[in-house]
Amino acid sequence: MVQAYLVFTTNYFPWLTIVVVFPIFMGSLLFFLPHRGNKVIRWYTLCICIIELLLITYVFSYHFQLDDPLIQLTEDYKWIDFFNFSWRLGIDGISIGPILLTGFITTLATLAARPVTRECRLFHFLMLAMYSGQIGPFSSQDLLLFFIMWELELIPVYLLLSMWGGKKRLYSATKFFLYTAGSSAFLLMGILGLCLSGSNEPTLNFETLANQSYPVALEILFYLGFFIAFAVKSPIIPFHTWLPDTHGEAHYSTCMLLAGILLKMGAYGLVRINMELLPHAHSIFSPWLIIVGTMQIIYAASTSPGQRNLKKRIAYSSVSHMGFIIIGLGSISDTGLNGAILQIISHGFIGAALFFLAGTSYDRIRLVYLDEMGGMAITIPKIFTTFSILSMASLALPGMSGFVAELIVFLGILTSQKFLLMTKTLITFVMAIGIILTPIYSLSMLRQMFYGYRLFNAPNSYFVDSGPRELFLSICIFLPIIAIGIYPDFVFSLSVDKVEALLSNYFYP
Amino acid sequence: MEYTFQYLWIIPFLPLPVPILIGVGLLLFPRATKNLRRMCVFPSVLLLSIVIVFSTYLSIQQINNPAIYLSIWSWTINNDFSLEFGCLVDPLTSIMLILISTVGIMVLIYSDNYMSHDQGYLRFFAYMSFFNTSMLGLVTSCNIIQIYFFWELVGMCSYLLIGFWFTRPIAANACQKAFVTNRVGDFGLLLGILGFYWITGSLEFRDFFEIFKNLVYNNEVNFVFVTLCAFLLFSGSIAKSAQFPLHVWLPDAMEGPTPISALIHAATMVAAGIFLVARLLPLFIVIPYIMNLIALIGIITLLLGATLALAQKDIKKGLAYSTMSQLGYMMLSLGMGSYRTALFHLITHAYSKALLFLGSGSVIHSMETIVGYSPNKSQNLVLMGGLRKHVPITKTSFLLGTLSLCGIPPLACFWSKDEILNDTWLYSPIFAIIACSTAGLTAFYMFRIYLLTFEGHLNVHFQTYSGKKNSSVYSISLWGREGQKTIKRNFCLLPLLTMNNKERASFFWKNKYRINKNVRSMTVPFINIQNFGTKNTFSYPHESDNTMLFSMLLLGIFTLFIGIIGIPFFTQFNQEGMQLDILSKFLTPSINLLHPNTKNLMNWDWYDFITNATFSVSIASFGILIASFLYKPVYSSLQNLNFFNSFGIFIPNKLKILGDKIINVIYDWSYNRGYIDFVYVTFLTQGIRRLAELIHFFDRRIIDGITNGVGISIFFMGEGIKYVGGGRISSYLLMYVFYVLIFLLIFFYYFFFQYF
Repeated sequence: MVQAYLVFTTNYFPWLTIVVVFPIFMGSLLFFLPHRGNKVIRWYTLCICIIELLLITYVFSYHFQLDDPLIQLTEDYKWIDFFNFSWRLGIDGISIGPILLTGFITTLATLAARPVTRECRLFHFLMLAMYSGQIGPFSSQDLLLFFIMWELELIPVYLLLSMWGGKKRLYSATKFFLYTAGSSAFLLMGILGLCLSGSNEPTLNFETLANQSYPVALEILFYLGFFIAFAVKSPIIPFHTWLPDTHGEAHYSTCMLLAGILLKMGAYGLVRINMELLPHAHSIFSPWLIIVGTMQIIYAASTSPGQRNLKKRIAYSSVSHMGFIIIGLGSISDTGLNGAILQIISHGFIGAALFFLAGTSYDRIRLVYLDEMGGMAITIPKIFTTFSILSMASLALPGMSGFVAELIVFLGILTSQKFLLMTKTLITFVMAIGIILTPIYSLSMLRQMFYGYRLFNAPNSYFVDSGPRELFLSICIFLPIIAIGIYPDFVFSLSVDKVEALLSNYFYP
Repeated sequence: MEYTFQYLWIIPFLPLPVPILIGVGLLLFPRATKNLRRMCVFPSVLLLSIVIVFSTYLSIQQINNPAIYLSIWSWTINNDFSLEFGCLVDPLTSIMLILISTVGIMVLIYSDNYMSHDQGYLRFFAYMSFFNTSMLGLVTSCNIIQIYFFWELVGMCSYLLIGFWFTRPIAANACQKAFVTNRVGDFGLLLGILGFYWITGSLEFRDFFEIFKNLVYNNEVNFVFVTLCAFLLFSGSIAKSAQFPLHVWLPDAMEGPTPISALIHAATMVAAGIFLVARLLPLFIVIPYIMNLIALIGIITLLLGATLALAQKDIKKGLAYSTMSQLGYMMLSLGMGSYRTALFHLITHAYSKALLFLGSGSVIHSMETIVGYSPNKSQNLVLMGGLRKHVPITKTSFLLGTLSLCGIPPLACFWSKDEILNDTWLYSPIFAIIACSTAGLTAFYMFRIYLLTFEGHLNVHFQTYSGKKNSSVYSISLWGREGQKTIKRNFCLLPLLTMNNKERASFFWKNKYRINKNVRSMTVPFINIQNFGTKNTFSYPHESDNTMLFSMLLLGIFTLFIGIIGIPFFTQFNQEGMQLDILSKFLTPSINLLHPNTKNLMNWDWYDFITNATFSVSIASFGILIASFLYKPVYSSLQNLNFFNSFGIFIPNKLKILGDKIINVIYDWSYNRGYIDFVYVTFLTQGIRRLAELIHFFDRRIIDGITNGVGISIFFMGEGIKYVGGGRISSYLLMYVFYVLIFLLIFFYYFFFQYF
């Protein structure tokens, strides 16, 4: 008894393993539940999600020291001995934020998925599998484990897309799968290269790899491999076309996961592998990263007004916002990297909420194209209100998290000592044009959907406004957005020390 | 005293509970909240009056200690960067505080009645209180980021309130236009902030000015870069205060409810740009060219606004252009470095213009019962006229505001405008000539609006005489004479800008009425006037309710007496022997604090004053004279008609045609908003649209095309291989022979090269 207690209180208890395995394990129990209709399944899944979220918060609040930049809650179990592969988990300041975000958004996405009736059991199992699959990459401390987790989460997404999507779901699911699987090949190549090119025995451990140095040419090669893999996932511009298709077709709970978490995995991978393991190549490539990021902001923000499909427009807006993350990473400064991590979290909330609202309004209007909509504000005022608030959040209105993140990224690029004044000025200027373009698409989206009037005798002129569940969901997402916007130290306190430690590897701070 | 100062930061957040409560209530318990609707005015008025008390107390304290800095909490991102939020209260702030809270409270009281039948009554008050919060926050900010923070929030409130009647497509376009135009300014503001942060490494005003001044004295800054950054900072003010290139949103913003136009788009928010320039004046003053630029922008704006206001047919748009012109005066005066005068004009103009807007709201309110709820009708000057008899109190207060804005002596704007004109003479004669003639124009267009609204007979009923009910509302000559009012409209050139009567905004609430084909008058469920335009409705407009009149009267009193703070009648000699009026005495410490080098000698000379005043008053009265000559209704008295006829005889025919041409040019210019909107629409809006289409095409066809192309080519390859590997022995044999051949060839060459 005493021993059991000790096990619970000390760090030896495998908290992270439980956190990672719990959802998928409980999800597989879903198939053994008696056939009592969908209600039982939904409640069961929701309970599992909430328990998992509470578990995560409990573990992080009691077993994680914020001021420690080292990896904590580590677990190391030998798995395949001969190439040193082991079940190695651990979290630090960079991964704690995304994991909390994952717990939050996935729980809400499960709540959002309540209207799904077709193949309810499988759907909810897949949601739970996604839960594990998303926490996995964020918490793994082993390259191969990272890769396995990375791949694990593809299968549920593919199934969710291809079974519960819209009309062109098979096309977009295939596109998504091929794109990401193709990029994973590069990821695997990079991982194998890193693993084998180190010292005389294969190493997969992040910590040992971080202290290793490689010949520059080799490092650049690895960097490119990893970069392509993460560029597809995060998306970075030439590789972004899977995203609008996928988002346009997926059910909105899937969209929430995609926009809220999956895109962030790419950015997380860039920080975790490209920045931490390959610092030299990163400092070589960082100007290019910044250029790509700037182009991405402008490019996606100017593609977005041309979209007729509501969800695609929001999808392009998330592509545009991801540009800020890339710039933050490229700036190689404390402020910039913190800003990028904040943007990861902030866009996780905002993107998920926007897709949720787009989905719920689609459920009512049953129209996909923006130019067919109009005048919805009278019939669904609550959705109108929440939609306006979140569009404001998306266009970086001060007081909301998007503004803080973008401002910090701006300051980061400004204080970065790597670049010359002229380039900095130019980049800041071009980035700031995004500030003008963002309201153009997001406000015109609002205008086309809600403003104006609707002809009186048109069919379906009356819709049900959002019910308590949807309202609860939007408020749940809205509160952290405001909280971060007003007091961003919530998130900064998680990542500041780790970021400082990470950037100390760079010769020019 | 120290104790109270610690809680200064509460001031902006005092009105905040109202929008939060209303917002939560409307989202969660809509029905219960709507039942309590009239209740929510009281807390907002109460909280705002507490703000008044606080700020008055503060400004009294201000005479002893010039500025209070207070830092509340900070964002600490890392060791290098932390941002302290707090509040700074100096005379500028406390003047703005009093201004915002007094105008705000009037407008709140007024709009309780004005909006009482509206469905969005609660929403309106939530937005208003939120606006008050963010505006108060804006003026008490102590660093630039904080200013940017509230700057955007104020812009968002303006967006929400312009789009308040969201069912009108025009309002929907207008609010988006306002937000995007302001965002262009904010883009500059943000870049400017970042630039100066990079130069000085600080964001708080006090340190910022200090560091910057040292840098300039030591010649450590790149002047081109600094000027660029200062210009970018200034561009925020350009957008917010509707200065020349970015003024296009202000007239469209009149789509919002009238109280909003009074509070946001006349008195407070548009003054935020002036406030920002005044706040950053110590910065601008050390950079050489930027002050000239500010003055130049100011003079362009004031002239442009006045010319555009000349022939507006919408009462609110006329006033909006007038606001723009007056803001140009303020900007000009700031550009000339006279901080005090600009602020003085800001104060007097805010009260006068708020009064005018409230008056116009009252007029609109009374016209709505006759002509229907479409803003094209209820705000149309052509349909008004003769309201003097029906709405006497409104007329009096409107006249008061008009006279004040024209610059007629005992009223508020006279004092400030006179000072600005004086300063211009000292600054540059060309500017002075423009400014003075614009003062004449101001008098002209203000009196034009006044005369068309209140004098003569009610024109609504005349419309039926013309026989062309539908085609034109200009059947009654705006210029008082028949036969000369053909207004050219270049439909081919400006299809988007001219207000087309047929595409009039209609406005539907829950129960909508298609009235008839000619008139799509929008109706609010409470009052329906169904037969406008087809039958005569001999109802007359009546005076608004007491609540509205009360706030108008209060503002009228302000307009009468607010000039006192700048008049040196109550002169006091202080130690240095300077004669100071209340405003200068109040501002002197802060001026000295901010830029001690500028001389603040107010040598008051009665002789100068009287000559200048006579000059400006004569210009104004000249404008008024012309206006009354042109717009005094013909049919009102026989004398006038004779006068016109006699006048007509003396003018030769050629001159008449020339005059008509000039009039037409002015009309075209004014109706088409100086063609600036047109240019923006064709070049910017269409340009962005085309760019979006182009990039979308590029994205779809090329980037996605490559991906799909790879997919398809792999598919075909697979098909080909499938065909080859389809179980035919012959094709297997072919492949086999082929490979063997290749192998042999390679082997042979290898062999060959090795031995020779």
